[in-house]
Amino acid sequence: MPTLRIDHERCTECRMCYIVCREIDVNAVVVALEPLHRIEIDADLCTYPGCTACLYYCPAAGSIVEAESGRSLVPPPPELRTEV
Amino acid sequence: MDALLERFLDAWVWPTAPDMPGAEFRLKLTRDKCLKGWELALGRALADLESDLGNTDEGWQKARALRGYAAEGVHMSIKQMSAQLLSVAIPDQERFIDLQRMRARQIWDECKHSKLHADVLLGKGWVNNERELMELAQANAQPLPAYFGLSMMFPHIHPLARAAQNYYQEAIACLGIMAALDRVDDPLVRHEHLSQRDEELMHFMEGKFQIDMYCADAETQRPVEEALGYLLHQIGGLR
Repeated sequence: MPTLRIDHERCTECRMCYIVCREIDVNAVVVALEPLHRIEIDADLCTYPGCTACLYYCPAAGSIVEAESGRSLVPPPPELRTEV
Repeated sequence: MDALLERFLDAWVWPTAPDMPGAEFRLKLTRDKCLKGWELALGRALADLESDLGNTDEGWQKARALRGYAAEGVHMSIKQMSAQLLSVAIPDQERFIDLQRMRARQIWDECKHSKLHADVLLGKGWVNNERELMELAQANAQPLPAYFGLSMMFPHIHPLARAAQNYYQEAIACLGIMAALDRVDDPLVRHEHLSQRDEELMHFMEGKFQIDMYCADAETQRPVEEALGYLLHQIGGLR
């Protein structure tokens, strides 16, 4: 299964993804214990592509990518969008 | 519809996360109310840019930039937004604690705008240090009602009223920045806008998320509708 990762060249560390992931009780977005305390995605907890919520509220284009291909998922590409 | 608005809508407004209980409500508000205001605001921003760029008088540019320091925030944000945050009733503080946290952090973000603006004033050589601005009346007087603070939002104190502010108002900020980046070449002005771009979009996303996540019934939708109605009238002249 594909997984997500943060592109730290693009991410502004606003933590919208952290808030969204926590509010929907997935809790896969974590603050890393490394000295910069950057946002990371725990691939063991993240249910992508089952859940795509963080991608819809991230304001920094290109900052969440598919780990395997490096493809940007912000803003969400058309094939991920569903009719509401 | 202007291409800038279309680009904004396609990238950030219409994409909607599945299974969010308030998403349908947000999309309806967008189609029925926000679009009209956003189109109008973008039209005004483009017209203002056109007229501003035509004026090459440095005295006028400096006076306008000094007024921009007052408009960009510390005085408005610290006093008014803090007061608004603290005015939330205790049961609502507990129920919407994450919205309170997001707003508390936004106060810092908004204050940062004036620091960015001071960067431009310093870079242009219009002031030698930020302390000089304290002596200048036009850099400290804010003649407009503060739409993010108490003077305009006093009756709209519910935490979700601020979701309407962030969604509607920050979209206008994003569109203004897109318009400026589309038209302005000055590197210092572009620097300020580029730096603010992600931050304004983040606050727009806060509003989008808060409506999508929390506004699932009439009780939670009411404060958003009331605040939005007020803002549409007050900022856009729309009813």
